[in-house]
Amino acid sequence: MMVFGYLLATGITTGALYALVAIGITIVYKATRAVNFAHGDLFMICGFIAYTFHVMWGLPYVASLVLAVIAGFAIGAVSERISFRPAIGHGIASVLLTTIGLSFVLKGIARAIWGGKGDFIPFPPLVHSPPISFADILVPPQQLVVLAGAIVVMLLFAVFFKFTQLGRMMQATADNPKAAKLVGIRTGRVYMYTFAVGTAVAGSAAVLMAPITLLYPDIGFVLFIKAFAAAVLGGLTSLPGAVLGGFMIGLIEAFSGGYISTNLQDVSSYIVIMLVLIFLPNGLLGGAALRRV
Amino acid sequence: MKPILGIRQFLALLFLVLAIVPFVANPYIIYVCNSILLYIILATGLNILVGYAGQFALANAAMFGIGAYGTALLQVRLGVPYFAAAPTGAVLAMLIGTLIALPALRLSGIYLALATLAFAMFSQWVLLHWNSVTYGGGGFPVPHLNLSPIPVGPDLGIYYLSWLVTIALVVVAWWISRSRIGRSFIAIRDSEVAAQCLGISLWRYKTLAFAISGFYAGVAGALYAPMLGYISPEGFDLIQMIIQKSMIVVGGMGSVVGSVIGATVMVVVLEGLRAFKATQEIVFGAILIVFVIFCPRGIATLLRRLPGWDEPVSSFDSARYRVEAPSPVAAAQPVREKP
Amino acid sequence: MMGWRTTLVAIGTVLAGSALAGMGAQAQEVPGVTKDQIKIGSFGSLTGPTYLYGKLTMNGVDAVFAKVNEEGGVNGRKLVLVREDDRCDPATAIAAVKRLVFEDKVFAIIGGGCSNAALAARPEVIKDEIPFNVFASVADGISDPVSKYIYTTMTTSSIESRAQLQYAIEHKAKTIAVVSQHDAWGQSRYTPLMEDFKKRGLKPALDLEMTVDDNDATTQALKIAQAKADAIIMVLYAKPGAVLVRALNKLGQSPMLIGQTGIADPVAFAKEVDIPGATDKFVTPAAVRYAPTDPEVKDWVERIKKMFPNDNLSVFNLMGIGAGEVLVAALKKAGPDLTRDKFLEAMSHIHVKTDTYAGEIVCNDPVSHQCNQSVAWLGYKDGKAVALGVTHLQQN
Repeated sequence: MMVFGYLLATGITTGALYALVAIGITIVYKATRAVNFAHGDLFMICGFIAYTFHVMWGLPYVASLVLAVIAGFAIGAVSERISFRPAIGHGIASVLLTTIGLSFVLKGIARAIWGGKGDFIPFPPLVHSPPISFADILVPPQQLVVLAGAIVVMLLFAVFFKFTQLGRMMQATADNPKAAKLVGIRTGRVYMYTFAVGTAVAGSAAVLMAPITLLYPDIGFVLFIKAFAAAVLGGLTSLPGAVLGGFMIGLIEAFSGGYISTNLQDVSSYIVIMLVLIFLPNGLLGGAALRRV
Repeated sequence: MKPILGIRQFLALLFLVLAIVPFVANPYIIYVCNSILLYIILATGLNILVGYAGQFALANAAMFGIGAYGTALLQVRLGVPYFAAAPTGAVLAMLIGTLIALPALRLSGIYLALATLAFAMFSQWVLLHWNSVTYGGGGFPVPHLNLSPIPVGPDLGIYYLSWLVTIALVVVAWWISRSRIGRSFIAIRDSEVAAQCLGISLWRYKTLAFAISGFYAGVAGALYAPMLGYISPEGFDLIQMIIQKSMIVVGGMGSVVGSVIGATVMVVVLEGLRAFKATQEIVFGAILIVFVIFCPRGIATLLRRLPGWDEPVSSFDSARYRVEAPSPVAAAQPVREKP
Repeated sequence: MMGWRTTLVAIGTVLAGSALAGMGAQAQEVPGVTKDQIKIGSFGSLTGPTYLYGKLTMNGVDAVFAKVNEEGGVNGRKLVLVREDDRCDPATAIAAVKRLVFEDKVFAIIGGGCSNAALAARPEVIKDEIPFNVFASVADGISDPVSKYIYTTMTTSSIESRAQLQYAIEHKAKTIAVVSQHDAWGQSRYTPLMEDFKKRGLKPALDLEMTVDDNDATTQALKIAQAKADAIIMVLYAKPGAVLVRALNKLGQSPMLIGQTGIADPVAFAKEVDIPGATDKFVTPAAVRYAPTDPEVKDWVERIKKMFPNDNLSVFNLMGIGAGEVLVAALKKAGPDLTRDKFLEAMSHIHVKTDTYAGEIVCNDPVSHQCNQSVAWLGYKDGKAVALGVTHLQQN
């Protein structure tokens, strides 16, 4: 029972990591109908920026978090203009190319600035306290912070999309950009805000997760792949779906690694994805397949 | 006006230059040109799947790996001579490519991308972990090409073999694009429902597209093994997939000459990037972004205005080739997209 | 079909192209050597996650070259390092070597980061008859069987893997768990480790896997706790290593932790784990005998800071410094009338103590070109790296 409890806790806490990144991917998709393949690297850059403020320049934790989020917002807006706007309307392959281009640019910049400081750079957690006990299962506090962060962000954005005007404008733009323009929505602005907000989310995620994941220029890649898988599993347009997808992948990894073999841990989620997509071609929460005529 | 340098002339010139390179250039240039030949094969096959048939699949690098590993393992583990091992490796890649087609029939757009991506990660895992067969992460050496009794060294041998095979496969791709198969692919890409109304069997042609691209990638892999003399899992990962994808986008999707141009340009760019040493990643990323800003439809589309550069039935309207997840609004009122 | 005009254009282009190609081909007496300069090439990862073993190690070599050039160079010639990226990919590594030989025209190569890339490049190096000193790749197959042109100053994976197992046995470990990455880097160490187990008639109690990017090692730690392992041989980079140590600590486990040069900086490792006391039982056999925080390498800290302002001195720099010093020693020994054969002759029986390597570098041609057979044991206590002694392994 102990083993099961620990695996469950691990699955949920690792899943929260993936969920937090997947939320950002879904936010951008909800408004632009495109996947930002540089999302993981935007996450990474914000993490390094927070590191620069907090560890290199000695600013307090909360101030660094706020500054990293603001920097994320700005970087997101800029990268939307240079790497996303040109590709809109030219298809998924062009978006893939520009956002991958952005990914390489960010990685190169990070490697040039911070790459020589250490192989995997530690980032101090919010609080330095011993693991918390839940029914004999010990959970390090930072992982609970990440879990809480994922849920808070998800709720915030669920409210945002449903009840605020900007949120509804984003959904309208995603649904039908031409119609959105016709009713006076400035789609360019909406895209920019979406990317900015998505990157800001990534920035906050980075600060929360960096103590666990450590910081290095290549952290974005694998994290993105798993978060992307989580987001698609969850239906790509559904925020709760992204969170659910993240938890699912975390749990699959934990249980397959714990009960079957550690060799299988990393690949188990991909196997499950292939199987799920055979039977549910639109993901778990994406609804029945519709055909556009 | 008869074109001085139309598509055919351009391709003939390119392959003529490639044929002469080993006589005038140093081994580094020869090696780079050999890479160009192999990537032409890869890009052409991928373009048939993605550009013509509209299947946004990310498993081509895995097929490339299966072709290379299949050929190399048959030679190394079972002593099969190269000219039997190579076609077998290519056919193996084709068969596995066809297997992927089956689930792909129900998927499209981003979901197909994810499913094929998952498959690619899975095949990397197999290559890394199935030590008893694949030698695992450490890779293994592969015999170079021995063309005896023809008195040609292994480097030249693989170069000219690749040259012949590349020309053959490009010609086949050209023929496919002009045939009924090519037209069916394009019909499926532009509108599956309309294609079905025309009596085009979706599953038959989608499977064929996957099989063809799998075969091309497998052949490229079979040629890759003796060119390197060493096979390991790294060369067939997602980075490789990104490079291949960028070749067809840069060259022009839905265009045979686009694949050739894209492959050549990208290989040259990747070698040219060496000058930037550690800042290569920044420059490469910037090049990709700038390229899409200025030439989003690919080089071949730009050249289409020139006489002799029109490709039959390859008009690629990328606005139609956009990923749309179904939304509740659309379900209520399906809106006709732009004509 | 092609008209006569096109054929003319084609022939013209080809002739022009070959003329251009011919222009650069100035055969030199000895490639890469002029009256006042020696060009040394290097290939390794400059980009991608493995840049640690490429770019940073090359930075160390550059630091040595700068120091030697300040002192007047080697026999009056300044040293220049030409870097090429192999992107940790066999195909790119072969291209890099070809480029270094035929375009950059270097005298010798010091390099090799990723093992598969170096293994793939080995036949090319031999074919081009260029000296190659390996500075970071650990796969035995690169320098064994012995080739006239290839020497390695890095402790090979079999040396470190044997040292790891040796330590566990000497310290009376009963239940040994192996946790390794199964990528190319891990495989090069895992294979000789398992062979050594078999040779001693032993089996690891657990054989677990982690990937570089794993953020949680609870599944591995649970199995280790269940098996009550008292020694963990870690074939891991620092990040999965740190993640593993955290998970073990969470479950109240405190076994011997045996690292390798991938985690050769115990101070940095302790910071990455970030749990006081969790790395007290951590030891690592390292190719270099100092951690970057040790006072003995202060001069190198300053030099790296000056040449690469964004960087801190790291173990990877130290590896490059050691390799660079060996290269320079061989160049000096080869004398002012420098040829590749003289250089290889100098390497064949070189005997050099460097600023950073654990022991002396001794090449024993034709028995072995694996010139670094010593590992320095480093531990950790109270924020400092602790030198626990140097082990010299048997010359093969």
